[in-house]
Amino acid sequence: MFAITREPLDPRSLVEAVRCDECGAVVLFYGVVRNENLGRSVRYLEYDAYEAMALKKLRAVADEVRAKFPVTDIGVLHRIGRLEVGETSLLVAVSSGHRREAFEACHYAVDRIKETVPIWKKEVWEDGSEWIEGHVPEVPKVTGDG
Amino acid sequence: MPQVHVRLFAGLHDLVGKRDLVLDLPPGATIGLLRERLGEEYPVVQPFLSTLVCAVDEEYVPSGHLLGDGDDVALIPPISGG
Repeated sequence: MFAITREPLDPRSLVEAVRCDECGAVVLFYGVVRNENLGRSVRYLEYDAYEAMALKKLRAVADEVRAKFPVTDIGVLHRIGRLEVGETSLLVAVSSGHRREAFEACHYAVDRIKETVPIWKKEVWEDGSEWIEGHVPEVPKVTGDG
Repeated sequence: MPQVHVRLFAGLHDLVGKRDLVLDLPPGATIGLLRERLGEEYPVVQPFLSTLVCAVDEEYVPSGHLLGDGDDVALIPPISGG
């Protein structure tokens, strides 16, 4: 299960989508809107995305995770639009036979999402706002079809 | 003359005030040339160029990537999802 959505995220349906009878572990990561950043009080966040590409890149992260870790399944939901403090912006669920792989794969997946998926957040404070510049995505040196 | 469709997001969308642009480029134009042109036609974009990467048809591409008529180019400032 992969989605970029403006609707509140449902952790139960994501866990159910990745869980299976062979799985002894499901790790679920919540990314949550925090009320401060670098000492500034945050009123809310506004997320923008290149939705079609973001969905494609979420699936690419999942493919990387499956190639790297012996996991059973992975699902990712990312919310965009306006999110209030305490709301969930990201859910990543990973299932596997045993806990260690699920924890490691989930950690890796969250890192790769932040490095590769074209989504942006704007912090809105009492006295202004700013689009946060995080990672510059890695670009291939040459393109195949160029 | 290749005509390309350019998508803007986040801070670039706010600064330019548009979600989409159309640019006419000379034959043989690359992403590098498109970046130069953007800086000339939209000076507000200039400060972003050093950290901006581009995607064509939903894949990140290098500056040497050749552009064709009808290509769909997205301008990707540093990302901050999660």
